[in-house]
Amino acid sequence: MLAIREMRRRKLQFALVTGVVALVSFLIIMVTGLGLGLYQRAGTALLSLNGDQLAYADNANLSLIRSRLTEAQVRDIEAKSGADDATPLGYIAAVIEYAPGRRDTAAVVGLVPGSFAEPRTIEGRALSSPDQILVDRSWARLAGTRVGDVLPLPVGFDRRNFTVAGIVDQGYFFFQPAVYVSLEAWQAIAYQGDASQRPAASVVLLKGKTLDASRGSGWEAVTKRTAFDNIEGVQAQQSTVNALRYMGLLIGAMVIGVFFYVITLQKVSLLGILKAIGASGFYLVTQGLLQVAVVSAVGALLAVGLAVLLQTTVLASSSVPIAFTTSAVLTTALSVLVAGMIGAGLSVRQVAAIDPIIAMQQQ
Amino acid sequence: MTDAILELRGVSKSFGEGDRRVDAVRDVTLDIDRGEMVSLVGPSGSGKSTLLAMVGGLLQPTAGAIVVDGEDITRHGKGARTRYRRDRVGFVFQGSNMVPFLTARENLLIVGEFGGVDRGALRHRADELLEELGLARVRDQVSSQLSGGERQRVAIARALMRDPVLILVDEPTASLNSELGSRVVDALKEEIHGRSKACIMVTHDERMAERADRLIEFRDGRLHSADARPETVRSSEAR
Ligand SMILES: Nc1ncnc2c1ncn2[C@@H]1O[C@H](COP(=O)(O)OP(=O)(O)OP(=O)(O)O)[C@@H](O)[C@H]1O
Ligand SMILES: [Mg+2]
Repeated sequence: MLAIREMRRRKLQFALVTGVVALVSFLIIMVTGLGLGLYQRAGTALLSLNGDQLAYADNANLSLIRSRLTEAQVRDIEAKSGADDATPLGYIAAVIEYAPGRRDTAAVVGLVPGSFAEPRTIEGRALSSPDQILVDRSWARLAGTRVGDVLPLPVGFDRRNFTVAGIVDQGYFFFQPAVYVSLEAWQAIAYQGDASQRPAASVVLLKGKTLDASRGSGWEAVTKRTAFDNIEGVQAQQSTVNALRYMGLLIGAMVIGVFFYVITLQKVSLLGILKAIGASGFYLVTQGLLQVAVVSAVGALLAVGLAVLLQTTVLASSSVPIAFTTSAVLTTALSVLVAGMIGAGLSVRQVAAIDPIIAMQQQ
Repeated sequence: MTDAILELRGVSKSFGEGDRRVDAVRDVTLDIDRGEMVSLVGPSGSGKSTLLAMVGGLLQPTAGAIVVDGEDITRHGKGARTRYRRDRVGFVFQGSNMVPFLTARENLLIVGEFGGVDRGALRHRADELLEELGLARVRDQVSSQLSGGERQRVAIARALMRDPVLILVDEPTASLNSELGSRVVDALKEEIHGRSKACIMVTHDERMAERADRLIEFRDGRLHSADARPETVRSSEAR
């Protein structure tokens, strides 16, 4: 096969462009992975809550941080929303000093122990007393926390010790590893001062696809999905990441396109000779596209290999928010292939238009 | 009923328009028979290559008909032209026109990639031709490393690969010494007689021209003499 022979005999040229394609593909895979990683950090825990909708204080503009509901509002939501079930949730970010001099921020979620909001443990037991805490696997990995350990959480200017009852696997909440405590404990952590003045919850988690009312006095309910999309920064983040991906694909298509365009220009006289001795335009175009397919497929494959290598070595033990899924990686590799074909398609007309008479003009 | 494999009927070709118009070939009518090797001579710019290009299906004449084996090739569409070049014509160009990154042997086998032929048989044919043209030693050498003469012989071998009825040769022996040149021309002649093909060979070399069955002379785009025996032309030029 002419196309393959040429690649073998002109190794350096083709190896170089394959390398560039591999790097561009790798970049796209990394950006995609970053997008997915950031997305997961934004609030997998919220998406995996065992409920369908969330009711916010209506002056909070769907912000989990700003939403505060009074006892009366929580009861109003329970009564008026018509949800199958409802349970209050609290959220606050807290710095936990898990070892002397070592601290990190966690998303402290308050919930009613035993309610449907309480996540299932993958290790240990569920919450059974107000001085217990559940930690997410992401926190356990970060802080080296195990079941039975004691974690000091800040309460006012003081600290209160919580015993780790179990470990859950719900992911991040609001870009922080999540920990779960009882609603009363959350109230104490989130609000100092007079206990009677404290808000009862941040939001109320509701079960049921449809509600009788999604608005009431001082509250509004939205789906989990909407709640997630309204997490501060999520949308901007995702559109930035997507813009970078498309940019990468465009660059990949251009690199391949320009390379094959230049190669075609270099070979105009050779292609003319081949036409003159009986090669059809179709044959020559097929050979060219075969080369493009090989270059982009090998490039994409190298990139996938590089990504897998990186994940199993560096990323596995770091806190860089890059996550790969097989389908995301394959989609990216496929997109590179398609982008390359499109880019190189520009040369097809060039090839088709070559007049075999130039074979007579060679010296 | 003639034995003509190639018939040219009032073939003309002009390039450009108005003041810049060049009449490269003017009203040429000519028959070439099966098994005949014709040499085409004439001063530079007299239209020899242009005629060859038209016969080879690379250029469309401005007027006239070119009939090969009963088929008027000037009526061919694009696909039919491609197949005509592939199956019926063996072209040896003025430059040797190799694929630079392929070996001598691969340059012959390339014609098998265009379809319509048994590739196993072609391998046989390639080895046979390499042997015949004294190229066996360099068969696996990349063609960019071949000498000019070697390349020219590979080009001739390539033209013979698919057993075309018509062999068109533009200045085949330019970079061959006379001994090798004669050998190449003789090999060509043998092919043409043995397999009843026809050949037009453009050459400036008198000794090469002499070896053909017939000599055609071009002057200013026209046939100057068409049926001269090589000796007569030589003696008329000598006068
Ligand atoms: N594509 C073209 N456009 C314009 N003029 C052309 C073109 N091709 C050939 N000519 C002209 O036609 C005439 C015949 O050219 P041709 O190449 O056929 O000559 P030739 O007999 O092969 O000459 P040589 O022996 O030098 O190869 C020349 O005057 C040439 O300049
Ligand atoms: Mg010429």
